[in-house]
Parts: sequence; structure tokens; C-alpha cells
Amino acid sequence: MIEIEIDGKKIKAEQGEMLISVTDREGISVPRFCYHKKLSVAASCRMCLVDVEGAPKPQTACSTPAADGMKIHTNNEKAKASQKAVMEFLLINHPLDCPICDQGGECELQDVAMSYGSDVSSFNEGKRIINDKGIGPLIHTDMTRCIHCTRCVRFGQEVAGIMEMGGTGRGDALKIEPFLEEGITSELSGNMIDVCPVGALTSKPFRYELRSWQMNAVKNIARHDLLGSNIYSQTYKGKVKRVVAGDNDDVNETWISDRDRFSYEGINSSNRLLSPRIKVEGQWQDASWDVALDFAIRGLRGNVLKNNQPNQLGALASSNATLEEYFLLQKIMRELGSENIDFRLSEVNTKDQLNLNSNIKIAEIEKADLVLIVGSNPRLEQPMINHRIRKASNNKAKVFSINSKSFDFNYQINQNLISPSKVPNMLASILREAKVKSSNLSSLTDAQNTDETLEIANAIKNSTNPLIVIGEHYKNTKNWSSIVSLINLLAKDTDAGILNISGTGNYFGAILAEFLPGEGGLDANTMIDKQLPAYMLFDVYPSYDSHNAENFVNSLKSEKSFVISFNSFQDDLVEQYSNVILPIASFYETSGSHVNCENKIQSFAAAVKSPGESKPGWKVLKVFADLLELQGFHYTDSTQVTNEVGFQSAKSNKADKEIKIPKSNSLEVIWQSSPYIIDPVLRNAEALQNTNIGKMNIAFMNSKTAKKLKLNDKSVYLNIPVSITDDVSDSCVIIQTNQSTMKRSA
Amino acid sequence: MIDKLKNIFKVFSLSELRGGLNITAHELVNKKITVQYPEEKTPISPRFRGLHALRRYPNGEERCIACKLCEAVCPANAITIESEMRDDGTRRTTQYDIDLFKCIFCGFCEEACPVDAIVETQIYDYAFESREGSIITKERLLEVGEKNEQMINKAKLEDSKYK
Repeated sequence: MIEIEIDGKKIKAEQGEMLISVTDREGISVPRFCYHKKLSVAASCRMCLVDVEGAPKPQTACSTPAADGMKIHTNNEKAKASQKAVMEFLLINHPLDCPICDQGGECELQDVAMSYGSDVSSFNEGKRIINDKGIGPLIHTDMTRCIHCTRCVRFGQEVAGIMEMGGTGRGDALKIEPFLEEGITSELSGNMIDVCPVGALTSKPFRYELRSWQMNAVKNIARHDLLGSNIYSQTYKGKVKRVVAGDNDDVNETWISDRDRFSYEGINSSNRLLSPRIKVEGQWQDASWDVALDFAIRGLRGNVLKNNQPNQLGALASSNATLEEYFLLQKIMRELGSENIDFRLSEVNTKDQLNLNSNIKIAEIEKADLVLIVGSNPRLEQPMINHRIRKASNNKAKVFSINSKSFDFNYQINQNLISPSKVPNMLASILREAKVKSSNLSSLTDAQNTDETLEIANAIKNSTNPLIVIGEHYKNTKNWSSIVSLINLLAKDTDAGILNISGTGNYFGAILAEFLPGEGGLDANTMIDKQLPAYMLFDVYPSYDSHNAENFVNSLKSEKSFVISFNSFQDDLVEQYSNVILPIASFYETSGSHVNCENKIQSFAAAVKSPGESKPGWKVLKVFADLLELQGFHYTDSTQVTNEVGFQSAKSNKADKEIKIPKSNSLEVIWQSSPYIIDPVLRNAEALQNTNIGKMNIAFMNSKTAKKLKLNDKSVYLNIPVSITDDVSDSCVIIQTNQSTMKRSA
Repeated sequence: MIDKLKNIFKVFSLSELRGGLNITAHELVNKKITVQYPEEKTPISPRFRGLHALRRYPNGEERCIACKLCEAVCPANAITIESEMRDDGTRRTTQYDIDLFKCIFCGFCEEACPVDAIVETQIYDYAFESREGSIITKERLLEVGEKNEQMINKAKLEDSKYK
């Protein structure tokens, strides 16, 4: 610790700390444009000039390290004069078109010009004009307004991991522009809007809609991924109009993914379900809540409760509900006496629930010195977790992946391509070679070593803080339970951290609320196959949520099943099999909680009222329970529900004693929905669908597999266009698609 | 006693009546100040703040760019604006309403406007036939502007010397 003096005040600082972080901490205002606390220092805008005693010229606070006894003046004549001069320079080429600029009202340049600038300019020459190239459907550019702070360029290099924007030309001809015609494709690109201090980069879907001062900001949690990024939803007249990033160093720092930023468009879509609907004699009709609820209760009573067969009732949910909704629905089911509760609609193997608990905090990911990614492309699936892994990689961590296709990672990685059915063998041999503790390995002796497994095993042995990240790719393959068991063993034996990212949305909320079959209960697949007389479906859209929608719809469509659906969007398939559809609030419209992959519970309040007759899901479920005359549902607030969720200690990770290591190499289809269709809100968000990621619809396979399946480059596999590429392993088809589907396997 | 006599003299000499008739006689020949409203109107200052209007450029393009500064500055919250991107990519209003019951005719909207789109004309004699009529829409504002462009221009020109 050293002591410096700023504006006559003695202040403690770290040796070598930049002056601007000291002034920020102390609340002393120093104007800046290019400095951003999460980006490297460029010192290019020169706005943060302060007077340092002894220095002949003013120094930039962002690049001057503090030294003992330093005396700094941030607002004496010298500092003020130089700040004013810099401001005048910056405004030379700025068009001053604030009235038509979307940044107007929240513009750093406007604010600083007001406080530190001059009223008149002595510049009378022509201003520079730059022709804009479009850079994609999310960001609008007005590069004439750019002041060359290079925050967006540094963001691309340092955070997004791909340098898509850059400066071309020199001096007066310097332009900030994307290098490629296709523009900005990063999954984190929206953050450039937040970091841009002027109106050069603004949100395209929000363009010209509102002024910043017209909106209310409501703190919220993004629910699309397993992270629960902190966001602010900005609302106007009961509609969410924009989403910006919130700060939380434990979760998302100051960044959010494009998915979290632009999904709000979905809830304003015309596709919303606005009123309760009942099917009378095969015809759908709108009904009031009273009528619809009465209809639903009578249906339940008639089909299952009257005959005292509560175990003939099944409840299914997608992984996009809130913790409270899961909790209330399972409570209703269990009070009625049914254990048929499940949310794992997309999973083929639902016989037993395999526990794979993360034992590492999100903020600790970057401290790992070795990361092994198994079956995941985190960049698309969990962009902010990928950012943390990238930070680990930048901190010199070694990163390995075991995948069946090579992906476009944005950090140094050693990718191992391997067929899905050979993954257990690989993990087993890594386990055998890397074990530092004894473990029962009788079933693992057969595992064959390869150079790659030895390399990974050695790296794990030599690392002090290894981390295993397990993704969703192999979830529906035959060997999933072996993979989970092997990873549990590997983590236990090598003291590695586990990060389970093999889910979407509020996956861990459903587990925490025990939205899973209990003793004697049926799992999702059995429930569907058995054609129960009554179902309650919460937020389920089979063509996106179920791994076999054809079977799902056919089974539920039958005359003898009475189906109550809780949905927030219209869907043809839901109408085919349901008897009553109750409209529920969507994202941003309900209070509740999200549980992220480190089991952190983050609660949020409703930002806007839900449209039409729709009501928050937890309220509907509460009324539903009251009408069924169940006890213990006297909730007036969703936080009362949250408090009731049993915070039992996580179940211990189960490891199969007998781990099967398959010898045969059977064909496996890995079905990856586009990250922009995983929930109904995203599917209705127009701008996201127009991005490169949103448009992706390809079945990847290598030439050997294509030959075996008698396919070529022009054919389709499971209705998805085929692309033959050699970066896919044998016996594997990886489908990345933005399409709904009735069947995910041949 | 003397006061009483003075009063009697004043009454019988009809001095007050003559004083009054004197004024009447003067006014009979003086220039009249009465204005035959509504056929005639009193002259008003070019800075008079009356009914609002939205102006167009000489080429017919509306001036307003939906910056919403008038809406922000309005102390009575009388202005409501909704904006959008028009097909040609320019920023335009889809709705521009002024509630004339709320408006206090302070002229801040005119002061705030960066493109001289919203102005307060010298029109002060207008009436509504329904309550909704008090909300004057974009179409009506533009119509007022078109009809009175000459008047607005003249007033602005006269006042420009003092700005």
C-alpha cells in the first residue's frame, strides 16, 4: 500500500495501480472514453488527462501508475484546460446529430461534452463522413459518430475472442469497421452496444423506438442458459423494450450473451396466447378463467380422481419454468398422490436420474489450470461459461476437448475427435492413467490407451486445479450413464472440479424443486408410452422440447387422455392433443427464481404485466390447487413459495459400479437445437433468428458415414440438409438446426 | 354650511353631466379603438404563443425527426410521441399528440426543437366540439402548419432580429 494525494486528499492505493481505478474507487470523477474496467488500457482518447505534480505535461489517468507520494490534481486549471482541448478535438469529426441518435440521453460523449467541453467550436472546416457497411441484424452502425476509442475492437479481441472489428487506415482516414463482409458473428456481439460510448454502435431491433429516459429499468435474471445472467429489462408502457447487462462478478461480470439481450422481442410477438381455451366437441373456443379452470378440474376429477387413481395422472414440464412453478406443480401432484413428475422430455435415457453436481463456482472457472470439455460446444450452448473458460485459457490453462466434431473455439484448445460410442473407452483410459487415488477399476482394464488419452491423463496428473466440463452432446447416446459415472470417478480420483452444463434454461431449478419421479413414479418416456388418462403439461412444446414429438403427440392425442396445458405461446401441436389450454405469463412477466449451474438461486420480479388474460404460472397453479381443495397453498407472494423449496444438500453423485465400455461402434445422432430455439421466447425473437447462429440448419457427417447412409451433399437426413465434412468423427451425425422436429433419430 | 352650498351649486350646474358629455363628444370625433372581432383582430406580437403547428420543409418533407426533446421538456406532459424507422431509414414519428387541455402554452417545445418543427402560431381562436377534440394529432398539427406557413414564416422573420 502506498499513499498518494488526489485533489489535496490523501488516498491509499496499490503500487502500480492505474490512477483512474483509484479515482473511480474514491468517487472522484475523471472523464474517459476509451477506458473500460474490464478491457485493456489503450490510452487513445486522451480524455482522462490529469495534472501530476512534477510532470511537465498532463498525464492520462488510465495509463499512469500510482507511485508513492504522487500529487494529482483532477480539476485544477491545467487539467481542466487540457480536458477541454481534448473534448474540442474529439468533437471535430463528430456529427453532433444527437436529435436523431439513439444514444442521445445515455451518451457518454454528450455527458462529458456538457461537463468538460466548451460551448463553441473553433472548427469550421468540413467533417469526415463514413459510409456504413451493415454488420448484421443485431447491431446498427453509424460510424461517422465514432470517436475511435477502440472499445469495440478491444472487446472483440479480449472478450469475444475473435477480432471482427478493427481499425483500417491511418490518421484522418482511420476507420473502425468489420474486416469481413458478413459482419459481426460473435455470440456476445451485443456487448459492443453497451461498451460504445457514442452512438456509433446501437441496437438494431430497438432502433428509433424510444429514448433512454422514457423507460423504467427493472433488475432481472436472464433465463435462457444455465448461468442466469443479471440483466436490466427496460420497460415502457407495459412492454419490455430493451435489455441491457447488469453487473455481477460472480455470474456474468458486465457481459451478457446476445441470446439474453435480444430475446425480449419474443414476448411482444403476436403469437402469444391471450385467453384460456377449452376444446368442446373437438372445437376450440375461448373461455373465461372460471370456465376453463372448472373445465380442467372436472376433467381431472372425471378421469382420475373420481376413480381414486391419482397415480394415473402425469405432470410434464419443459426446462424453462421457474423454480416456483416446478415446486408448486410437483406439490400439487404429490398432494394428490401421484409421483409421475418429470421435466426430462428431451432425454432418451430417463430410467434413472444421474446426478452430476457441479462442485465449482462460476467465478472459479478462470482459476483452473486444466480444463477438459466433454461433449460440448460451450461457445454456442453456454456463451458466458465459454467466456470464463477462455479466461482460464488466457491465464495459461491447458484446454482439451473430447467431442465428436471439431468446433470453432475462441481459445487455444487441443481438440480430440472421437466417435460417441468410443467416449467411455477414452475416459476410462484417462481415468486409469491419471488416477492419483485408488479406485475400483476392475471394469476398466480393457480400455485402450491412445496418444491422446496419455496426453490428457498426463496433463491432469500434472495440474493442480483441473476442471471437467460436461456438456449435453452425449446425453441421448447409449453410453451416457457410463460417461457420467466415469466423469464422477475421474473427478473424485483427481480432485478435479466438475461443471455440469448438460442442460438448458432452469434445468437445475427443476432438479432442486424435485420435479422428478419419486418412489414408484413414472419417468417422462414411460408416462408418454403408457397413455395415462390425464396429463398436466407445463410450458411444453413437443416439436422443440421432446426427443420424439411424433410419439408424444400420438400418445396424448388419444380420446381417453385428458390433457391440461399451461402455455404462453400458441402452438398447433399443443392444440392437437390438449383439452384445455391455460395462458401463462412468459419471461419478464412473472416473478420467480432461476437456479444456475453452481446451484445459485437468483430471484427476480416481474418487469411487465402479462398480455391479455394470461396470468403468472405460479398464481395459476396456486388457484388450481385451491380448486382441487388441497391444503397448504396459502401463498400470496412467489417468495413464500421460494422459501418453502427444500434446500436439501445436493444428492451425492452416483457412480455405477459396473461401467460398461462398449466395443461396437454404432451410429449415433447428436441432435443440437440452435441456441436460439431452445425456448418459446427465443423462437419468436425475430432479430436473433436472422443471425448466422439463428439460421444454422445442417446435419454434419464425414464421408464414411455418408457413404454408409447413402447420402451426398445434396441430400437431407431427418429433413436437415447434409454437409459432408471431415471434422466429424466416424459413426456420428451431428445436427445443428433451427427447425422444429417430430423425430430426432432415424 | 359652505360645503352644503357648494354641493347644491354642483348639482344644479350639471357639471358632472357636462364632464361626461364632454368625454362622449371627444370620443365621437376621436379614432375608435374598438375592434370588430371576429371580423377584425387586434395586432399580436410575433412571439405570441397560440395553437401549435408542425412544419414542413419547402420540399414537402416533414421537419420533425422524433427526437422527443419537446416531449421531455414539456412541463405539463402534454406531448406524446411514438417513433419508428421509416422505410427510407429516417427517424420519424408515428404519433405526435398534444393535449391542449394539459398544455400551458409555455413555448418550451418550440425552444427545444432542433429543427424548428413544432411551433406555436398566433392562432388563439379555436374550439373543440368534443372532449377528444382537445387532443390534437399529428395530421391536424401538420395541417395547421401547412395552412399557416406564411404566418409562421413572417412571425419568425420578424422575431429573428431579436434572437
